[in-house]
Amino acid sequence: MRLWDLIRLANRNLFRNKLRTSLTVAAIFVGSFTLTMTNGLGDGMRKYVESQVKNIESDRVIMVRRKIEKPAGGPKAGAPEEYKEMATDDEGESFDPNTFLLTVPQMDAAIRDLDGVKSITPRYQIKGEYITLDGQKKYKLELGVLSEGITQKTEAGRSINGPDQIVIPLGLARELAPNVESLIGKKVTVAYKSPDGSFRSLPLELVGVATKGFMTNYNSFVDAGTARKIHQDQRSGDGIDKFAGFTIQMASNDDGKIAAVKRALDAKGFEADTIADTQKRTYDAIGIFKIGMSLFALIALLAASFGIINTLVIAVLERTKEIGLQKALGMSRGRIFAIFSLESVLIGFWGALLGTIGGVIVGLTANRVLIAAYAESFEGFNLFAFTLPSMLSVFALVSAVAFFAGVMPAFRASRLNPIESLRYE
Amino acid sequence: MLEVRNLSKTYSGDGQDFRALSDVDLKIGNGECVAIVGKSGSGKSTLMHVLACLDEPTEGSVMVDGSDISLLSERAKNTLRNEKFGFVFQQFFLNGRDTVFENVALPLRIRGADMAELRSGANTALGAVGLSDKINKKAKDLSGGEKQRVCIARALVGSPHVIFADEPTGNLDSINGSIVEDLLFDLNRDQGITVVIVTHDDDLAERCQRIIEMKDGRIVSERRGKNI
Repeated sequence: MRLWDLIRLANRNLFRNKLRTSLTVAAIFVGSFTLTMTNGLGDGMRKYVESQVKNIESDRVIMVRRKIEKPAGGPKAGAPEEYKEMATDDEGESFDPNTFLLTVPQMDAAIRDLDGVKSITPRYQIKGEYITLDGQKKYKLELGVLSEGITQKTEAGRSINGPDQIVIPLGLARELAPNVESLIGKKVTVAYKSPDGSFRSLPLELVGVATKGFMTNYNSFVDAGTARKIHQDQRSGDGIDKFAGFTIQMASNDDGKIAAVKRALDAKGFEADTIADTQKRTYDAIGIFKIGMSLFALIALLAASFGIINTLVIAVLERTKEIGLQKALGMSRGRIFAIFSLESVLIGFWGALLGTIGGVIVGLTANRVLIAAYAESFEGFNLFAFTLPSMLSVFALVSAVAFFAGVMPAFRASRLNPIESLRYE
Repeated sequence: MLEVRNLSKTYSGDGQDFRALSDVDLKIGNGECVAIVGKSGSGKSTLMHVLACLDEPTEGSVMVDGSDISLLSERAKNTLRNEKFGFVFQQFFLNGRDTVFENVALPLRIRGADMAELRSGANTALGAVGLSDKINKKAKDLSGGEKQRVCIARALVGSPHVIFADEPTGNLDSINGSIVEDLLFDLNRDQGITVVIVTHDDDLAERCQRIIEMKDGRIVSERRGKNI
């Protein structure tokens, strides 16, 4: 018997009892539908995060901060911690083990023996007040620092590449001029407050308009030199030379050297991550979330697989005489097994097909509704994303589950004795 | 040619053995028409099952065309039944929801024939039993006599050497019964197909060449039938 004949025969057998088959397919549908939705949700989140973080990129920057020592076995919530006295690090610099704050000499000491370091940028804490294009309205300014070695993607112009430069967000740029290209190269004034409350201002060159993303939707970015100036003006007294961390710009994107620097910093008591590391952690977290969600769908699928077993066990009983006849007429055990297995896989196939189609329709509808409602705050965000590999994996998984559900009934059918089966009442 | 030697078949269960066949020797030549008769429990059905390779003897050997089938694999026995044997049963065993065509073509499908072969085979076989016009009907819509003729067509479709008929007229009235009988004897006479009929209908048995009577698992007598 040919494969296509077998598939047709199996499908015809299945739909001899339309109600029973439909109900079993419906159970598989629920599992496949849930699986499609959870996959779609995970992929949607990943895509959104990807589109948002891709706006800031660098293959040669390492972000560094000091590890804070925790008691063995991890911190206990609410447990009192002992205060630690000032300590001295390997380089002879004194530091406060109770905070991760660092001084510039400590940063210098940390990178002293490292190979391939081009420059470092301390994490400046700066706060802007407003930005204005000559003679125009003042706009509130959220200010950030672009560490040396990092580039921003831009809608117009380019990323920062020298002193006294600024890149502004797209929303602000559109307010300043409908044609954002015309803003490139213009002088803008950036104002900030000093500790005594007086305003200071800096003239900067507007070199670019940022592409949208998590960090670039509202923030304007200035170069490290400008940030140092503002930092010094805004901080005074004890806090002036303390930073929460710093970034290292490597001279090249040599993976070996980057890894060596990370290892060395780790040994000296620092946490050191590249942008790729932090992105990977985010994707891993989304991946774990996706798996967690899918577990619920898998439970639904498992329950449905018992439906398949039940359906097929009954089908074998109902068709005992037919199986007996087929065997008498020379059909082999393997073929009998194949027919029942195919029926099982077909139940899975129909359930997966309907579940996937249903999931995609519901997901895409949900996306449209959400975009209509929240387009302002989450531009470019789709709650659900459906990719072909994801959908194919749902098909493969459901088919596999269905096949294994069919093994026991199919095996029983294949072992039936033809004479006894023909006598079966 | 079918031949059995020293054939015994014992069913064991519930702590006691039941000897369905004891020391049976039988030869059936090509083109013969043989009736196996006896009361129920005499072992006639078991003998047919063993002859048709549906059941295995406990002792003794079964030769089909000179080769011992106990040496054949499961697959080879399946092929043997599919290609050399046809079956007609008292209860028809048709698939009512399928068309007459699907029912008749089943042995060819099992063999792996293509659609053209299925069509021509089913047409020829249904023509031979006079039911060409019912080919697209559902099997459940046929009368009892028509059903058994479809079964004969199904037995015939694979061009068998032997047709085994187990009480072929047992469920039919006398008119339909004699139509079915005529068909079987015509096939035997015109196409040289060996026919083995298990029956307790003496009139049917009398129409065969040889009548083998069984009792308590043994062949107790053999005689020639009246006419063919």
